Amino acid sequence: MALLELRDLSVSYGEVRAVEGLSLTVEPGEVVTLLGSNGAGKSTTLKAISGLVRPRAGQILFEGRSLMGCRPEEIVRRGVAHVPEGRRVFPGLTARENIMLGASNRSGLSKRQIRAEADAMFELFPDIARFGDALGWTLSGGQLQMVALARGLMAKPRLLLLDEPSLGLAPVIVQAVFRIIAEVRRRGTTVFLIEQNARMGLSVADRGYVLESGRLALSGTPEALWANDDISAAYLGGSRAVSAAG
Amino acid sequence: MDLVPQLLFTGIGIGAVYALVALGFVLIFRATNVVNFAQGEFSMVAAFLMVVFAVDLGWPYWLSFLAALGGMAVLGALFNLGVYYPLRHRSYLPVIISTIGASILLANTTLALYGPQPQVLPGWFETQGILAGGVFFDSQYLLIIGVTAVLVAFQYWFFEHTLVGKKLQATSQDKEMASLLGIPVAGMIMLTFVYSAVLGGIAGILVAPVLFVSIGMGSTIALKAFAATIIGGFGDVTGAIVGGLALGVIETFGAAYISVPYKDALGFLVLVVFLVVRPQGLFGERVAEKA
Repeated sequence: MALLELRDLSVSYGEVRAVEGLSLTVEPGEVVTLLGSNGAGKSTTLKAISGLVRPRAGQILFEGRSLMGCRPEEIVRRGVAHVPEGRRVFPGLTARENIMLGASNRSGLSKRQIRAEADAMFELFPDIARFGDALGWTLSGGQLQMVALARGLMAKPRLLLLDEPSLGLAPVIVQAVFRIIAEVRRRGTTVFLIEQNARMGLSVADRGYVLESGRLALSGTPEALWANDDISAAYLGGSRAVSAAG
Repeated sequence: MDLVPQLLFTGIGIGAVYALVALGFVLIFRATNVVNFAQGEFSMVAAFLMVVFAVDLGWPYWLSFLAALGGMAVLGALFNLGVYYPLRHRSYLPVIISTIGASILLANTTLALYGPQPQVLPGWFETQGILAGGVFFDSQYLLIIGVTAVLVAFQYWFFEHTLVGKKLQATSQDKEMASLLGIPVAGMIMLTFVYSAVLGGIAGILVAPVLFVSIGMGSTIALKAFAATIIGGFGDVTGAIVGGLALGVIETFGAAYISVPYKDALGFLVLVVFLVVRPQGLFGERVAEKA
């Protein structure tokens, strides 16, 4: 059974159709990436899964059970953590407090246990270990992304939804973020990753889907997606664009 | 009797009441991004409940106090469910109008039930106060200052050192993100309304023996508390406390040295000066915090 399955998912904002008839699956243990240009409906898909927007039609199944109509609080309690676009680190709380609040979906934990877990997170994210007591608004983009990832992992999710973790980060930071994604997967968490940066997305993924104007344009292994010249040029900023620039 | 320390004591006492009501403003504002214009009515209703329990029914003072606060907690919950919650996805304007409507409803319901006659609520203590070092420490003002200090300390501990406090802060900073983490946002907002109603209620009960218990006391206190939040910097907890105390002291000194009838006007003059010269208040909101 797929961990996550979308069946004919359609989402509209008023008259605007953001996602149209999207079907895809994410199997346990996989890293799956959803690629596409700006406005293709990638973020909307994630928001539908985590309950932030209500789909117009279709079905969302997590571990075989429907998530349709559930509130975000219930969905994260069932094991789906969403690290949204823009990181959304609470500006007036410290990095450690932000990370600690990531465990809000798990009941029966004492503050002491949560704090110990948050401190253990800093081993996975050594770059922010020194900034545990710094307020959110003082952190850089890369640090915010690390805090957001750590906060997402504190939920102990079975499925981690990541929305554009590379956006606006320096290349060296992007590399660090993707090393962490690979490590998260190695520890057994399934990842569903949205990226505009197809190169990075496909570098960690087992499979990829390409969205175009809200519809599924293509899917397959990273190798197959790269091999499709038209597709890689049009949606992935592929070899032609690179060779033209070079 | 030394006038300056005496006035300072009285000013801080009355300022502490403004500070408590201002705290209620700030907490609800931070959780919902809306000013609750019925915050003053919380104080008025609590004072009337106190009159009913302690004077009319003759219950012991402490029992009346607890019962009145229990009543305020229920009122805060009903207020959330009836006034804020149905409009939570709308813009701020319908919510503001809704709180104004609730304020009129509370004032007029009290008027219908109790009539226009101002009531007298005795103070907590039998003794009037103590004379020390040339200053008369009125027992009720001492109580006000003491309770305010305890509440401020409690609130600091609660928000800074408990997980629930952190969740409340997270909710006020980004509700959508809070819900994605599994924080029960609706529950956090409910808690905020209940706590703010109790806070306003405590202020009303404490100040009632100093003033008369009247229908209009709510709007008077709320206006002063509102001025205090603007002086302190809207949305800032420390600002609300400092602003409230400052306003109380300014008013009291103004009454003594300038004019008693213009006491209230003086407070609002300070408000206008702040709005013109320093609209962000003493503890102006850090711009980065909004980013």
